[in-house]
Amino acid sequence: MSRFLELLKTGPISGFRLRTKLLVLALTTLALPWAGCQYAREMETVLRESEQQSLLAVTSTIAGSLKGRQELLFRADSLPGAEPSNARDITPVVLSGEPLIDGRADEWDPDARNLVRVAGPHNDSLRLLAATHERWLYLALLVRDDRMVFDGSDIAPLDPAAMGDRVWLAFDDKRGGQQRLFFASTGTGPVRGRRIETLEFGREAAVEEPRIGGVWQRSRDGWVMEISVPLSMIGQHLGVLIDDRDRRGGPRSSYGTLDPSDLRATGRLIAASPDLNDHLRQFSQPGVELTVASNTGAVLTRLDAPALPGDYTRMRGFLPRMYRLFLDGGAIPRNVSQVERDKAAQALTERASHGKADTALFAGRYENSVIVAAAAPIFSADGKQVLGVIQLAQTADRWLTLRDRALTRLLNLTLFATLFAVGAAFWFAGRMTLRISRLGAAAETALSREGSVARVLPESTAPDELGDLSRSFSSLLGRLDEYTGYLRTLAGKLAHEIRTPLTIIRSSLENLESESNSDNARVYIARAREGSERLAAILTAMGAATRVEEAIAHSERQRFDLSALVRATVAAYGTAFPNRRFACQLPDDPVEMTGAPELIVQMLDKLVDNAVDFSADGATITVNLRADEAHAEISVANPGPLLPPEAATRLFESLWQYRAEADKRPHFGLGLYIVRLITEFHGGTARASNLPDDSGAIFSVRLTR
Amino acid sequence: MKKTIAIVEDERAIRDNYAAAFAREGYAVRGYPNRREAMAAFAARLPDLAVIDISLEDEPEGGFELCRELRGLSAELPIIFLTARDSELDAVSGLRLGADDFLTKDLSLAHLIARVNALFRRVDALRRPAEEKQVVRRGALTLDSERMSVEWNGQVVLLSLTEFWIVYALTKHPGHVKNRQQLMDAANVVLDDNTITSHIKRIRRKFQVVDEKFDAVHTVYGMGYRWVE
Repeated sequence: MSRFLELLKTGPISGFRLRTKLLVLALTTLALPWAGCQYAREMETVLRESEQQSLLAVTSTIAGSLKGRQELLFRADSLPGAEPSNARDITPVVLSGEPLIDGRADEWDPDARNLVRVAGPHNDSLRLLAATHERWLYLALLVRDDRMVFDGSDIAPLDPAAMGDRVWLAFDDKRGGQQRLFFASTGTGPVRGRRIETLEFGREAAVEEPRIGGVWQRSRDGWVMEISVPLSMIGQHLGVLIDDRDRRGGPRSSYGTLDPSDLRATGRLIAASPDLNDHLRQFSQPGVELTVASNTGAVLTRLDAPALPGDYTRMRGFLPRMYRLFLDGGAIPRNVSQVERDKAAQALTERASHGKADTALFAGRYENSVIVAAAAPIFSADGKQVLGVIQLAQTADRWLTLRDRALTRLLNLTLFATLFAVGAAFWFAGRMTLRISRLGAAAETALSREGSVARVLPESTAPDELGDLSRSFSSLLGRLDEYTGYLRTLAGKLAHEIRTPLTIIRSSLENLESESNSDNARVYIARAREGSERLAAILTAMGAATRVEEAIAHSERQRFDLSALVRATVAAYGTAFPNRRFACQLPDDPVEMTGAPELIVQMLDKLVDNAVDFSADGATITVNLRADEAHAEISVANPGPLLPPEAATRLFESLWQYRAEADKRPHFGLGLYIVRLITEFHGGTARASNLPDDSGAIFSVRLTR
Repeated sequence: MKKTIAIVEDERAIRDNYAAAFAREGYAVRGYPNRREAMAAFAARLPDLAVIDISLEDEPEGGFELCRELRGLSAELPIIFLTARDSELDAVSGLRLGADDFLTKDLSLAHLIARVNALFRRVDALRRPAEEKQVVRRGALTLDSERMSVEWNGQVVLLSLTEFWIVYALTKHPGHVKNRQQLMDAANVVLDDNTITSHIKRIRRKFQVVDEKFDAVHTVYGMGYRWVE
């Protein structure tokens, strides 16, 4: 705290004005939303982690319910058994609806995890996709082929000379036998699987298998065949083979998942049990997508997430966006491409297939959507082998939205509070500054250079510390005023006290004068009287200022023409001072003003007296009057000695005098002081300066009209 | 019979000096240091004229009180205030109480005696029937230089001695400007400018008491005052 105060005094803001300081201090309330954000992020982390943990727990529970239950996981004929996984394994996905068998590849996802790729003349010559719906297996063969060759004749499918491209499908049947069927056609369209049967006399014939059908169509880079087979026909293994010919009856090149020599299927059909979905459905939760994959990562089945109750669309608008900018820190991956997203999901599944349950967080398909996923391995009964993987994915939008709403409200409130605090601080600081500067200005001008004191300062009625300060100032000024008042009246009081003994002396001398006849005595009496008269003159002068002040205080204001007054007065000076010439410049129009004309005359007397005193015989004294709307300015200029530099400021003070040579007359420098008093009575100022050409001095008074 | 002057002054030296000066002029003089003694003596026998100091021993304004009591005893008795104070307030208060003149102690003894003589002359003149040749008439103004009395539209204007002499000097040559020095000479006083100004103001006010529209005393800026008919 003390360090903080120290910082306030010496820190970077120490040079600021009070208002700025308070403003900066008020800005510290911005820590409030910041703290709110921090808290929200902590909360969010905790929430997210608990969400992940609970999702993981659910995942583990489901995985536990499937532990060792291969028959629930896979269809009876697809039990993986002890065989190691094989690149030729076919893992169909479970479809929720019946696919349309039309020979078009559109609805198949060529990027699906269960895609089987087989190299032929080209890379990926055959891409095999599989799916199940209810009791049917659907296969899609996407073949890359430069030239699609059909059979020459529909009636002799086994004639080598007429043979074109054909597709072999082989699988175990339930009795342990091998079923081999081929598809051949003279053109695109529906096609039936045909079995080669040996008839009597060793003749071979192609017999149609009505349950197995397909559709053959051209595609952009080859052809597509879609095949549907009843699952009930198929045993454990299944495979396809393409016989590719460049011309009808030409040599074939074979590729596929079958052994080309004996057309034996070695790849397994690993399909989910028809009961798996029913079993999983009991774990289904709103907003949670449930996926079961084989231990190779091929998806067996996926339960789409039922819709979440309520509206969890994230808030839009500028402020929530800005807030999210602060909030969605590194914890949540953002703007991730589909590939990366899939990689993240795949990595999670892979970890689970190695026996490790885990959770992960990755960006969803839409902007700002986040997906929480958990994957757990499904172990075999002995717990040594991983049969499959179950993965739960949930969009985090729900709690992100909740967080956003709470935060937006919090941030809005704190922002409002901050604005209010800043505003209040600014207002308060402004008011305080205003009050302080008002007090400061008043304190600065309270004691005028001439010694008059303003005793009442602003804020003196305020109940706070500023009021105390103002009152302290006021009492200080009061005492100062009393003291200056004492000093000011000292001369008058002294004069009054001295007057009584002086009267005694003077009346005694007068009595003595009228009674004494000695010549010598008369001389001394005359000298004594002269002395006492000078003393009396001094006393009169000493009391003069007080008398003038009183006279001014009792003066009455009236409207009069200053121009006429100056003209008449200056004309009178011509006779009063025959040794000086007077020049007078007046405005053409009358100068009406409010004031005391007797005092103005008295003021002019003093100014002219002064000018006469400081000029030589025959000099011209210039009296000018200028006026504008609000003011009138009278100046009296005389040729003569220049004013010393310090005179300009002190000339109008009481009892200050500047005289080039000693003067017999008692002179107390009251004349210009009286000028100042009269000027101030008329709301004006008096000043003295040298003439621009340094030929003399000029005294001017500026009066308010 | 010698005229009796009472001096009420707490400063013994001044009292005695004044007494000596008045005695030399042939007046009988009695001095009192305070109000109590003065009133006791006045109750027994009134003087012909009283010179009173305002500040008396422990009473700063005992002179005013004494003036009031003395006026209660006699309406005609001339009273002169004499004081070291020369502020406006004292003068106004003293004159309102009915004093005939108000002088500061700066005044020389010769001037003081001249005033006392003048006041006695006024009292004497008032006792005689008015002589026409001493009376000056200027429009609404009737001025009796013997009795030192002034009437405006037939109504008496009560002027102090100083004020009378100022009015007298102004009306002697109506329309002529009298400067301050001339007015001071006429009134036998040494006053500063402000005091002359306030005397003029008071004269105007006293005339305005009997006639609101009185405007005969004009200020001539830079020169002085003149009487306008």
